[in-house]
Amino acid sequence: MSDVYEITIWARGVVQDMEGRHMTLIMASSADKDGKFVQAWDDYADLPDRVGVPLRKYVRISDEEIEMRYEYENKNPSLVVIMDDTIVKGLNILWGMDKGGVLVVNSKRSPDEILKFIPNKDLLSKIICVDAEEEFSMEGLDFMGSEGGVEVSAVGAGISAVLAGAACHGTDNLTIDSLVAVSANKEGAKAGYESAVVKDL
Amino acid sequence: MSKKYCEKFNIPKHLQVPLGAVLPANKKENKGMITGNWRTVRPVIDHEACTLCLNCFLFCPDATWHLDEKEEKMVWNADYCKGCLICENECPVDCISAVNELEFKGGVVRLEKPF
Ligand code: SF4
Ligand code: SF4
Repeated sequence: MSDVYEITIWARGVVQDMEGRHMTLIMASSADKDGKFVQAWDDYADLPDRVGVPLRKYVRISDEEIEMRYEYENKNPSLVVIMDDTIVKGLNILWGMDKGGVLVVNSKRSPDEILKFIPNKDLLSKIICVDAEEEFSMEGLDFMGSEGGVEVSAVGAGISAVLAGAACHGTDNLTIDSLVAVSANKEGAKAGYESAVVKDL
Repeated sequence: MSKKYCEKFNIPKHLQVPLGAVLPANKKENKGMITGNWRTVRPVIDHEACTLCLNCFLFCPDATWHLDEKEEKMVWNADYCKGCLICENECPVDCISAVNELEFKGGVVRLEKPF
């Protein structure tokens, strides 16, 4: 089987559910635009979500057709995105990661402050922090379409674009140009890419 | 509120909260239902201002607050508080405030999986 690049996104239940799903969709669409094979889906194991419950969302990117079709969990993520920084205290967010992975955190705090809360940080080769709420306020956005199969609002209109923009520093599988092209929040995606604090470990 | 408690703390009759049933308090914690990792903010109590009215204890959906009768102060349990802030809302003297969870080193509830 070809090498599949796995991305796991951790979001807070209900309040970040839609943005988390949108992040998987824009990441997958942008890689698709770059000619890759992709998969993007929500987790089954963590549902039904309730407000604040940590949830996972997944993306797979590959140069060849992805054969892992009936596995609904990324067992070996190379990139992990944390949509709310307090999740680092509640879970082993690097679960399944091999040495050399990348972590993207939505936080006002510096990479060093976040690393203090990650006991298995030696797995990481890079940490990227971006203050997505600073770059794009979620105020006034509704959570419509939080459960549905059809997106009732534009995809990637909120902080998902900012965080996905920042994640472009973490892997060659995501390119900022394609990401901007597929996101509704184009300014946000660019701002996320530019304002990301990247620390190599 | 128990009669003993009302007498001990001189709770006037009109402030005594009637209970529908008196059940023994939980003695065991259910480690299979940890909700502490839902929390983004935590309720921080100002013990000086707290009047031990027990509102937080009564309203908390996760039975997170209890009264330490010896020390005469409220005790909070980091493993189960989900940060809903109902207690902050219900405290009559506003002595509970919400503080971002990452301001604290402790209270880590690091599970392998969400559930
Ligand atoms: S924030 Fe909610 S769960 Fe936590 S102690 Fe207060 S009422 Fe209980
Ligand atoms: S509700 Fe407020 S005053 Fe009453 S016991 Fe709780 S913290 Fe103290």
